[in-house]
Amino acid sequence: MLQQLANGVFAGAIYALFAIGFTLVFGVLRHLNLAHPAVFTAGAFVGIEIAARTAIPVWILLPVVALFGALAGVLVERVAFRPLRGRDDEHFAGLISSVALGGVIIALLQARYGTEPKSFAMDYFPQRLFEVAGIRVTLTQLVTLGLALVLMLGLAWLVSATSLGRSMRAVAENPTAAKVLGVNVGRVTAGTYALSSALGTVAGALLALNLGQAGRDLGASIELVGFAVIILGGLGSLWGAMAAGVVLGIAEALTIHLFDSTWKSMVAFALLFAVLVLRPRGLFGHVKVREV
Amino acid sequence: MLAGYETLITTIALGAILAYSFHVVLMAGQLSLGQAGFASLAAYTSTLVVPTEPIAGSISPVIVGLPVGALVGAAAAFVVGLPVLRLRGVFLAIATIAFGEMVRVLINNAEWTNGAIGVRVEKWVTFDFAWIIVAVLAYLFWRLGPSRSGRAFAAVREDELAAGSMGVDVVRTRMASFIASGAIAGVYGVLFAYFFGRITPATFDFSLTVNGLVTAVLGGYLVFFGPVLGAGFLTAVPEIQKALGLEAGWIHPLITGVLLLAVILFLPGGLSTLFSRLRRAPARPGPDYAPLDALDPLPDPGTRIAAVTGLAKSYGAVDAVRGVDLEIRSGEVLGIIGPNGAGKTTLVNMISGLEPPTAGEGEILGVPLGARPHRFAQAGVSRTFQHSKLFERLTVLDNVLVGTHVVSRSTYLRRLAWLPSARRDERRALALAWAQLERVGLADRAGLRPGALSYGDRRRLEIARALAAHPTLLILDEPAAGMNHVEAAELASLIRGLADDGVTVLFIEHNVKMVLEACTRLVVLDFGEVIAQGEPREVASDPRVIEAYLGTEAEAHEESEHV
Repeated sequence: MLQQLANGVFAGAIYALFAIGFTLVFGVLRHLNLAHPAVFTAGAFVGIEIAARTAIPVWILLPVVALFGALAGVLVERVAFRPLRGRDDEHFAGLISSVALGGVIIALLQARYGTEPKSFAMDYFPQRLFEVAGIRVTLTQLVTLGLALVLMLGLAWLVSATSLGRSMRAVAENPTAAKVLGVNVGRVTAGTYALSSALGTVAGALLALNLGQAGRDLGASIELVGFAVIILGGLGSLWGAMAAGVVLGIAEALTIHLFDSTWKSMVAFALLFAVLVLRPRGLFGHVKVREV
Repeated sequence: MLAGYETLITTIALGAILAYSFHVVLMAGQLSLGQAGFASLAAYTSTLVVPTEPIAGSISPVIVGLPVGALVGAAAAFVVGLPVLRLRGVFLAIATIAFGEMVRVLINNAEWTNGAIGVRVEKWVTFDFAWIIVAVLAYLFWRLGPSRSGRAFAAVREDELAAGSMGVDVVRTRMASFIASGAIAGVYGVLFAYFFGRITPATFDFSLTVNGLVTAVLGGYLVFFGPVLGAGFLTAVPEIQKALGLEAGWIHPLITGVLLLAVILFLPGGLSTLFSRLRRAPARPGPDYAPLDALDPLPDPGTRIAAVTGLAKSYGAVDAVRGVDLEIRSGEVLGIIGPNGAGKTTLVNMISGLEPPTAGEGEILGVPLGARPHRFAQAGVSRTFQHSKLFERLTVLDNVLVGTHVVSRSTYLRRLAWLPSARRDERRALALAWAQLERVGLADRAGLRPGALSYGDRRRLEIARALAAHPTLLILDEPAAGMNHVEAAELASLIRGLADDGVTVLFIEHNVKMVLEACTRLVVLDFGEVIAQGEPREVASDPRVIEAYLGTEAEAHEESEHV
């Protein structure tokens, strides 16, 4: 039981990392970036390749992956969203263009890495196992959880205390007013995507590190859970997404424990459906939906 | 000739049918993505209840399965729609995705569905059968487009508030599109089952939803044949690549993705944009304007058409409107003035149903306060908005045609059967709309989109749209804002002309000169309360009014005249 709870927390940390990228872009720009799962997958593959080629340790690897992700994020915004700005069908078109770009990214991954899943070398990261009060935890899981916490706190700090964060909040509140007051909306937009995708790629690499391998469907497998997390947390709310990620992870783990793994995703969606119908602003969302 | 391509051709048909189930909700502006769930429920139910052998010796099970599937899909959509249609945009999308996934997990775990292994049935669907269904759907949507219901869908898509104010029942329209989507998705599910001969829970997963949405948007949801274009394109591209000898597994998805991206970025209306340039500019209808005489007469001058007492609205601790009593009599031109934030717009929003009052009672043309906007519109209240709310993706003429909603009858079913009466009704609506365009002087711009109009013309278009409803009470919210003094003078004479025709006009305006010229009675609001009302010149010289409002405004006006 406790073991299941612990597993849920670890899974939830990954969900949350994946989802805060999603929710950040939505909160600031009102874009639902459906290329995010593909960028997440790319992070896993790129991480695996760099690890295999250079054997750099993980604390250098992850920043490199994040850098790659930031570039990818800027590219996603340039290609799939910026050309649509101001169009009547901006919102529908943005969904489709990001789906299309996601497809392109996955095709490129297939071109480079083939159809088989790729793995980290067995000895890339020490396979240590700890046992605390009867709960078994791997070193990878601990590092994942720790990193997820650090990244989320870092993002929260960035949004609340830096000038980029202040500009992001201004754009989220009112893009036109922000522009009039001298905020460089183009740069804030690019910055938001860069941050979002950097977090997404790191989440992808961490998930691959936990699983030991990554396939092309890595992102697709987490996409719907990601939706559930951002809604449960309150669309656009960073703290909400973090909390909801962990709640969902635990709920799934408990379902597996009590029922069967085939019912696992039922919990996420039933919860999601109920929350949307009863409390659309999310479990943790505040009255104002459009916060960062 | 078709040998060897039958599967391909049928795949296009199935893709188009799936896309139609998205088309119908996108047409009404609803991002609803539960179609995989509806299709799944319909397919499983029909394979369960329909006999596997031909019925009465010759009727294929599909013939029975299709109506069963459509019914199951529609019923499921209705049941799901009741709670989720309160949501909009991304929230609606995600709630419906969640529904689809719940269905998938349930079917995966149920006994009667054979779990993940799925159900096998005979293959009864041939390519010609599938294309007949596509043809039927295309026909249904072709006839829907220029009908009263089709315009209602478009109006709801472009602006729900404006649609409601023009008499469109927004809730019912959204539900109708949702149910139609469920029915079409049900048909798709059944056809899929009897074409491929096997369904599993994974058949109806999230990727099916994405495919359907992509096909519908790619083809274009503003034109009835969009889904066929989209399905043709998405099916043909990989085939053409195969024919060209491009074999590597990753090239197919790459090229498909790039093409899709290119279409979305460069053809805003999807592939159908390529064809819409062929459309003719709207022509003025013939001289048979006689139907205009058949409109209901307006109430006699002096009849009381609205009376409210103690009307109040508060937002939290802010009282926008406090204890307003108001009576409106037929034939008058009632001006409402007051400083910014005095509660003028809130007041007219309440008497046109856009906002429910916090307190107060009364009726406007027999409709109690607090009813939804379309009820006021149906009773004869028509309005414009302070910030113009036009249907941006409809032509100028179609904008005004939406205005005729409350004075015309539904034509869709009669159009399906090509009844002459439907044609007559549509021409009457067209004549009404043209008459209003000519009245405000926009007839030569009928084929443009509102975005191409000047600011003053946009305001005139809104007035034409409101007039097309043949209103008893016309409400204009700052109609002269942004107009130059020539335009404002024209507007004032238009308003006086309307009053001569028996239309009661209530208008909010900051241009005091124009208000004094046009209105027969003046009401002054300040801090949510009526501080003066009566004969315009008298009210204008009331010291309280001058203090609250006119003093500064008149000075400003004099200054601007000296410039």
